[in-house]
Amino acid sequence: MLAFDRVSKIYNLKGVRKVILDDLSFVFPENRNVAIMGKNGAGKSTMMRLLAGSEPPTSGHVYRSLRISWPLGFAGGFNGSMTGIENIRFVSRIYGQDTERVITYVKEFAELGPSLRLPIKTYSSGMKARLAFGLSMAINFQVYLIDEITAVGDETFRKKSRAVFQEKLKSSQIIMVSHSAATINEYCDCGLLLNEGGVTFYDDVKELIAAYKSL
Amino acid sequence: MRQMTTAELLTLQIRVILSLVLRETRATFGTSSFGYLWAVITPTASVAVLVILFSMVGRHAPFGASLALFFATGILTLQFFTETSGKLMTVFDANKALLTYPIIKDVDTILARTILISATYLVIMVIFYSGLIVAGMAQFPARPGQLVLVFLSTALMGLGYGAMNAVIVSLWDTWMQIEKVLTRPLFFISGIFYVPSQLPTRAQDYLQWNPILHLVEWFRIGFYPNYNSSILDRTYPVFVGAVLLLIGLAGERLFRRSRF
Repeated sequence: MLAFDRVSKIYNLKGVRKVILDDLSFVFPENRNVAIMGKNGAGKSTMMRLLAGSEPPTSGHVYRSLRISWPLGFAGGFNGSMTGIENIRFVSRIYGQDTERVITYVKEFAELGPSLRLPIKTYSSGMKARLAFGLSMAINFQVYLIDEITAVGDETFRKKSRAVFQEKLKSSQIIMVSHSAATINEYCDCGLLLNEGGVTFYDDVKELIAAYKSL
Repeated sequence: MRQMTTAELLTLQIRVILSLVLRETRATFGTSSFGYLWAVITPTASVAVLVILFSMVGRHAPFGASLALFFATGILTLQFFTETSGKLMTVFDANKALLTYPIIKDVDTILARTILISATYLVIMVIFYSGLIVAGMAQFPARPGQLVLVFLSTALMGLGYGAMNAVIVSLWDTWMQIEKVLTRPLFFISGIFYVPSQLPTRAQDYLQWNPILHLVEWFRIGFYPNYNSSILDRTYPVFVGAVLLLIGLAGERLFRRSRF
């Protein structure tokens, strides 16, 4: 189960109070792919971090009994002075994976070649994203949290990602943040719309996209 | 889906902490073994400076025959403490990126750093004291068991004080500067270059409140066969360390939400 129980998230930065979520209770439907849409700053990424557990809510509880990924889509967790291989090793270790298996997988998938032996700080943002995506695909999660990641890399890499992704979807569920109606339409079948602190659930993804467009 | 058992959670936490130790080792010392060598050289140099200064003015060791051994028992113990607590003070900020992976919690990063610094100081001390013994400047420790205990107590003290400071800094970062000023006198009040029991009673009455002084005295009892201390109370630094750790961990839990 994955559920929000009276969750509020409020940021206080330099005296500016920003309410992202206000007393939200919601049970994420199981075995369905959920989209999260909303304007910039509506709190989509915050919601992802709350779901993953990288950040605690200001009040209320997030219940999760599934194996949930970290929020994919940015390379925030990489250590810049460590090489690609070392970062892969670290993440495999904390998730209790067979390190060599994960390295082999990421090598094949991310196609970074000898760059994997260089420090991450020498990588371009595209290379980092490929590494991050490959790494997350190498570990089996029940729920993948995806934050605007499908647009990574060139056309061939995108095709490859899509194929791997479709394969994953057979056994896993995704919760996805995206501004692209096409992407949402392709992967999700229901979704949440975040707007001015209010959250609405749409059982049909078409209705969600229509509502998002009329914002 | 069932909940994880305590044993599973414990295995998970140990796995995470050990991975963090490996990562921090790599991040702290770099790729070359020179990084680690440097970590050993720095404390050695500070002992050497004191030895040279005291020899130049023609002073003898306050206790025993070896100036180097006497100062080392003081300086290395104090440094082990200050290194641990100092590195922990910034731990929340330094490891923020790691919290991308929800499986890692702040407490894991605190413990990982403590383990890494303790391991480093264990190596430093073994190398340094072995060197002194080989050079004939020290005898083999009289009570090795006591040395193990005082080493662990010093780590506890550094962990407790560092964890508490980390919480304070996360709420109020000016504390970092204030704490530096407050702990500077430790070099003078921890018995590094004198025998505390030989001081006037009035001075002893004040100094005995300093837990680091107890650790230094304890270390000397472990090393010298006939060192006498009228001040040493072994339970005192352990008690202070445990209380500070409790405050630190409780603070981490209480103010967790305000860090985000």
